[in-house]
Amino acid sequence: MADDKDVLRDVWFGRIPTCFLLNQDEVTEREAEPYYLLLPRVSYLTLVTDKVKKHFHKVIRTDDAEEMWFEYEGTPLKWHYPIGVLFDLHASNTVLPWSITVHFKNFPERDLLHCPSHSVIEAHFMSSIKEADALKHKSQVVNDMQKKDHKQLWMGLQNDKFDQFWAMNRKLMEYPTEDGGFRFIPFRIYQTLSDRPFIQKQFRPVSPEGHVHTLGDLLKEVYPVALPTEGGPKRFQVVIHGIEPLLETPLQWLSEHLSHPDSFLHICVIPVPSD
Amino acid sequence: MSLCVLDEEKFHLCCQLLLQLSEQLGDGWSWEGGQEGYLRKTALRSVVIDSSSVWDYEGGGADTSCPSLSEQQEGEQEQAAVDASADTDSIKGDMEDEDEDDGVCVASAGSSQLLQYEYHILHSCSYSTPVLYFRACTQEGRSLSLEEVWSSVHPNYRLRLQNSPLNTITMQEHPLLGQPFFMLHPCRTEEFMRPVLQAAQDQHRPVNYVLSWLSVVGPVVGLDVPLKYSTLLHPAPPPRQHRARLTPSPCVCQHHCGAPLYGSCITNPTIRG
Repeated sequence: MADDKDVLRDVWFGRIPTCFLLNQDEVTEREAEPYYLLLPRVSYLTLVTDKVKKHFHKVIRTDDAEEMWFEYEGTPLKWHYPIGVLFDLHASNTVLPWSITVHFKNFPERDLLHCPSHSVIEAHFMSSIKEADALKHKSQVVNDMQKKDHKQLWMGLQNDKFDQFWAMNRKLMEYPTEDGGFRFIPFRIYQTLSDRPFIQKQFRPVSPEGHVHTLGDLLKEVYPVALPTEGGPKRFQVVIHGIEPLLETPLQWLSEHLSHPDSFLHICVIPVPSD
Repeated sequence: MSLCVLDEEKFHLCCQLLLQLSEQLGDGWSWEGGQEGYLRKTALRSVVIDSSSVWDYEGGGADTSCPSLSEQQEGEQEQAAVDASADTDSIKGDMEDEDEDDGVCVASAGSSQLLQYEYHILHSCSYSTPVLYFRACTQEGRSLSLEEVWSSVHPNYRLRLQNSPLNTITMQEHPLLGQPFFMLHPCRTEEFMRPVLQAAQDQHRPVNYVLSWLSVVGPVVGLDVPLKYSTLLHPAPPPRQHRARLTPSPCVCQHHCGAPLYGSCITNPTIRG
């Protein structure tokens, strides 16, 4: 059990080496050098790329620069998903560093939310925490917190302060022992096979008969396609934070340890690489 | 407790009934997206974009999360002075020409535009409530920004939105389409629906959760729910009540609920009775 705290740390400090390249169609005054960053998996693209913006602003005419947005192999990257989710979903079998293209024009209005300031990210982040707590505790924990407590969660994420964040976040992870877990597990299952961005439903950590629900139980109920058929080849990987947890892992444990700071367990279902 | 819980099954039943009524009334709602789908309606709306209201965006638009109760009270105190003067004016004005109020903002200096609105009603499994998503574009196909959407909200609602249980308009990903939509945040829906549902239960009156909810949140973003939905649901209402329901005007109760009134205030039923 002592090791469980280490899991939280490992999740928090997960990094993805990334290379940012300027879109070739941007008009530059001189050649744009690529920019390299170690991106925190649990953060948001628009929260950790101020330096990227500054870097490329040096070579493009500032008058031409509109809102910055990112793309990977033709897919606009949704800043409102955690960075680790974007990587697992779109690029998990790529060669590192992850190569992201940076755009300053033709913002894809149909695909991406605007992100004019960090306060928009903060609002999105807090909104997720509140939604998750509605599922976990009928919003009781998050509503009992004060404004400064909410701020502490956000500042913890923004400034990459693990201890500051978890000092408050542990309250959101509590539950009555006799219940054996949260009311419902806040989860989202992402896939790229259809236009529907993710699947989200009500799912309890323990069945009415007292059976502890596992990751496999969840998939069987809400996304059975992801599970291997008996005797058939494995077609999909079920990935959380870049790893494939055992399908026998209790869902409640996953929710407490592998959730993102926004309180959701983000699960990516991706096709097994063919080669 | 279970009174206010709208599970998916109940949501579908309410939607089916709403669709039936809509068909009778020719109101244009349809069901899209199969079993886990949503109600959809499009409408052309003449809107005045009030350019003098940018302060609203900064105050309410940037904070897409929902204020907790304590935050809200703080906010209310800060806003009290602003609201007090502004509210009095708008309420007075509204009462004077009550019958002429057709829901289109005519008070400001901006120019009128014809906009295409698309409204979606989805079920939120997290909050066990319906949620209203919408987007708007010009005749040329340009999408409205959050700022423009805020300024197209009727000033009577705009003044109160930041502190009302209806909360704020934000841009979010449509959970089924994956595209940016505006959304009225559902986190306090239960709070303002509870009195409506409780009253209906006490009086053994049938109530369609989705329809009642829509009559409260819809008008905020220009989606009016014709009175006929209600008269079809409850035939032959007493004439006096009928008269009162004809004119939705923002509630003037002390709770600043900002709700449009169809007969009685949801937080203080005695105020207009």
